[in-house]
Amino acid sequence: MASDVKTRTKTASRRNQPPPLNNYIGDRKPWLSNTRRRSLTGWGFLLPAALLILFMSFIPMAQAFVLSLQTGRGTRLEFADPLWYNYERLLNDDVFRLTLTNTFIYLIIQVPIMLALALVLANLLNNPKLRFKAVWRTAIFLPCAVSLVSYSLVFRTLFANDGFVNDMLMSIGAIGGPINWLGQPETARFVIILGLLWRWTGYNMVFYLAALQNIDQSSIEAARMDGANAFQTFWYVTVPQLKPMIVLTAILSINGTLQMFDESWALTQGGPAHQTMSMAHYLYEVSFQKNPNFGYAAAISYVILMLVAILSFIQMKVGDKRD
Amino acid sequence: MKRFTKLTAGALVLAVPLALTLTSCSGSGGGSGEGDGDETLTVWTWDPAFNIYAMEEAEKVYQEDHPDFTLDIVEVPWDDLQTKLTTIAQSQAFDELPDIFLMQNNAFQKNGINYPDLFSDFSDSDIDFSEFPQSVVDYSTIDDVNYGVPFDAGTAITALRTDVLEEAGYTVDDFTDITWDEYLTIGKDVLAKTGQPLLSGQAGSADIPMMMLQSAGASLFDDEGNPTIVDNAALEAAIDTYTQLVEAGVLVEVNSWDEYIGTLVNGTVGGTINGVWIVGSIQTAEDQDGKWAVTNLPKLDTVSGATNYSANGGSSWAISSTADVDLASDFLGATFAGSTELYDTILPKAGAVANWIPAGDSDVYNEPIAFFGGQPIFADVVKFGPEVPSNNTGAYYYEARDAVSTAMTQIMGGTDMTTALEEAQANVEFAME
Amino acid sequence: MINKLRSLPGYALLAIWALFSVFPLYFMAVSATNTSKDVLSSRMLPGTALFENIAALFSTQDVVGAMTNSFLIAVGTTILALTVCSIAGYGFEVYHSKGKDAVMAILLLAMMIPFAATMIPLFQLFARVGMVNSLWAVVIPMISTPFLILLFRQASRSFPHEIIEAARIDGLSELSIFARIYVPTMKSTFAAAAVITFMMAWNNFLWPKVILVNNSVLTMPMLTANISAGYVTDYGVLMLAVLLSSLPTMIVFLLLQRQFAQGITGAVK
Repeated sequence: MASDVKTRTKTASRRNQPPPLNNYIGDRKPWLSNTRRRSLTGWGFLLPAALLILFMSFIPMAQAFVLSLQTGRGTRLEFADPLWYNYERLLNDDVFRLTLTNTFIYLIIQVPIMLALALVLANLLNNPKLRFKAVWRTAIFLPCAVSLVSYSLVFRTLFANDGFVNDMLMSIGAIGGPINWLGQPETARFVIILGLLWRWTGYNMVFYLAALQNIDQSSIEAARMDGANAFQTFWYVTVPQLKPMIVLTAILSINGTLQMFDESWALTQGGPAHQTMSMAHYLYEVSFQKNPNFGYAAAISYVILMLVAILSFIQMKVGDKRD
Repeated sequence: MKRFTKLTAGALVLAVPLALTLTSCSGSGGGSGEGDGDETLTVWTWDPAFNIYAMEEAEKVYQEDHPDFTLDIVEVPWDDLQTKLTTIAQSQAFDELPDIFLMQNNAFQKNGINYPDLFSDFSDSDIDFSEFPQSVVDYSTIDDVNYGVPFDAGTAITALRTDVLEEAGYTVDDFTDITWDEYLTIGKDVLAKTGQPLLSGQAGSADIPMMMLQSAGASLFDDEGNPTIVDNAALEAAIDTYTQLVEAGVLVEVNSWDEYIGTLVNGTVGGTINGVWIVGSIQTAEDQDGKWAVTNLPKLDTVSGATNYSANGGSSWAISSTADVDLASDFLGATFAGSTELYDTILPKAGAVANWIPAGDSDVYNEPIAFFGGQPIFADVVKFGPEVPSNNTGAYYYEARDAVSTAMTQIMGGTDMTTALEEAQANVEFAME
Repeated sequence: MINKLRSLPGYALLAIWALFSVFPLYFMAVSATNTSKDVLSSRMLPGTALFENIAALFSTQDVVGAMTNSFLIAVGTTILALTVCSIAGYGFEVYHSKGKDAVMAILLLAMMIPFAATMIPLFQLFARVGMVNSLWAVVIPMISTPFLILLFRQASRSFPHEIIEAARIDGLSELSIFARIYVPTMKSTFAAAAVITFMMAWNNFLWPKVILVNNSVLTMPMLTANISAGYVTDYGVLMLAVLLSSLPTMIVFLLLQRQFAQGITGAVK
């Protein structure tokens, strides 16, 4: 505090400003000191966002939790006996276990490939000597402009038995007969993963580009002058500075993939016999397409929530250190 | 550039909230129950070419005697409609309901049993339900009370390409009133001689076996609502036939609805078996004009109670619980349950075939249809209608159907039929817990 | 010469991925000019049915209305979301405290629950205050997203606190510091957030579909769904609708690209 007073006095005398607001009367600090006021302002900045989230997410979430403890069809809901009946039931649900497996397959395969690719592409695009920058950037980001349902439809048409992909592969002799892409579990999952990569790589690339443009160019120049090659500069200088953004995109991607719905719904409709169905799609099916069992659906949503929370927590602990 | 962006940003910040509020004011009329003007009804339905068109014509018919009457028709896709009904029912926001909505016959039991508060019944109306085929009325009947007026007929037909048949030396008559064994034999022959399969279907979709099942008067549930997937002779015969058709190449499986339509429109297959509403899609292939004909289905000979008739899909009009019931039931009674004029108008333009039996007597229904080689297909279909056996759907119909689809995928992949069906039954019982 | 060779793999990767990205969009655009039959046989060349498709689309659906509604929703959401979330992200980072970290972790939980589960309670909430069917009801749940707050918080970590201190010494209020110093500096972050929010709001399908109960107010995704829900779908018209639906988001990105570029020169040194 003393130093503050000194600085302020210096500044005041330099500029002939009126005395600062927190004049002390005697020795007692007024309650609304600068630091406190700043702290309150800080909290004030958070308030609108936090309130909205409280009402739009947390309260419905709490209601959903209460729902997950109830059983019954339609509106005839009553508390289950035992309370965790729905969760127990989930463990015995073959279809749910299948959707869980599917979702994790998507997560483990698609997310790392996508993030690595986005990082590399962003770094390439950030190079000041790159030609046709706008062309690459626009082309790679364009998939994000299309809605999820729309692109699922397009991919479904392209990978149809008599669709373009089969026609092309057969004409260059890569395959003998048409591959039943959407009719077999493995290839159907592959198409979904391909679709996810197509749609979301550009999106993550944009995050990395924004972050790259906010980091210090001089550190990269210094490394270059020290003799590091492109890869070393990338790995040892650029990436560490991008850590906050990498953690962010990883959390978002995990969250997005675990909650994936539209692709499963529009591209494969859950695939041959639930083999490509995601958990969120199953949730929707249980709520709106089958005999409505909202308590059970709520329980599924909480399982998803817990999975995302655990994985994100691990991510943050591993990657997120305040320097 | 900077100033421009600032100005536009500023303008947007002011203008958009204003626009949002204004649009909200006009859009939020809340529900559309009784207080909506004396003679206006709101209707929720899907498909402009078919259902909405029919409703618009019905409005005109009713206006002849009630000049102040108007309809507010809102287009809502079926999936969407189901979601909305569920959402409204779960949150008890019944004011948001329209007066009349269309409902898939297969979903009627599920919605009626789970959310009775959505519906008004027809017990006070003048509608004579005996003028509709029993099988169709049964879908919207719960505990002997009527909740729906049947509209679009899901009556099943076998549609065939006469030119393909001719090439192999057959005619449509060879397909009328036959058994599945005969169909299979002819199908193999046609395939050998012309290289064209007679059928296509979505892999993993239970449509065709379900039609076969219904044609034999069997269902996936018994009268008490217990699943009857195992020990179901008709179901086993149906799946068996289906497997034979695929193995012989007479039925080609595709992966999506678009692909299925593609096989018809691009001429990859020589026919199809589906609800009569499929003719709308078939007719988009203008180069196939005059080359189609329609007949009834083959029957599952080995099963008792087998017939040559079945249905797939179809829908009925329901009146909501917050509607002006008198006006709505009078309207429906005078049009969809009472007006030959209406059915005559909508038939040629939309191919909307009536369930209402008296409609079939009119001249319009007996007109030859050029696309189908001059056959009066609609008169024929109306005659099929009353022959269709009833089908017990129950509240868990979609679960059962899904389970059977999964079983079929497994069976096509080599699993033993009994095992697969036992698993399907177990899955349905699990879902019913 | 050697330099050019070294950069070849880079160019190759960019080219391959760019081609892969654009191709399905090309297919979509071409399909919009073809008849339904041709689309179903995966025709790759442009056809002559564009005007037919346009006529069919505009006569059966209220395209102008849906575009307007989608536009209002998207712009409204973007403006409000950027304001609310940027200031929150700034608040979390610049006024960092353990308490705020805890609050952030709690808020993050909110984005981890699948939407299909909170849909009904949310609908109930809006039904109780009589806001069903209003565009505001569509916008409000989308304004405050933990991920946007997280974005701004993470991005703010690269923002030097010394500048803030200097500004405080100069007598600026906290809000002015935010508005006059932070906002202009973090332009590229704002641009990225704007593009993402606009796209999310524009393409949002499930929530508008649920809350706009009587379908008298349509959004573009709802309109596209309407087309694919009939008994007979005209695939050329459907692709045209999909194309029209995707154009605004593409345009927004193209426009804001320049802001990215400007962001470099105006970046913090």
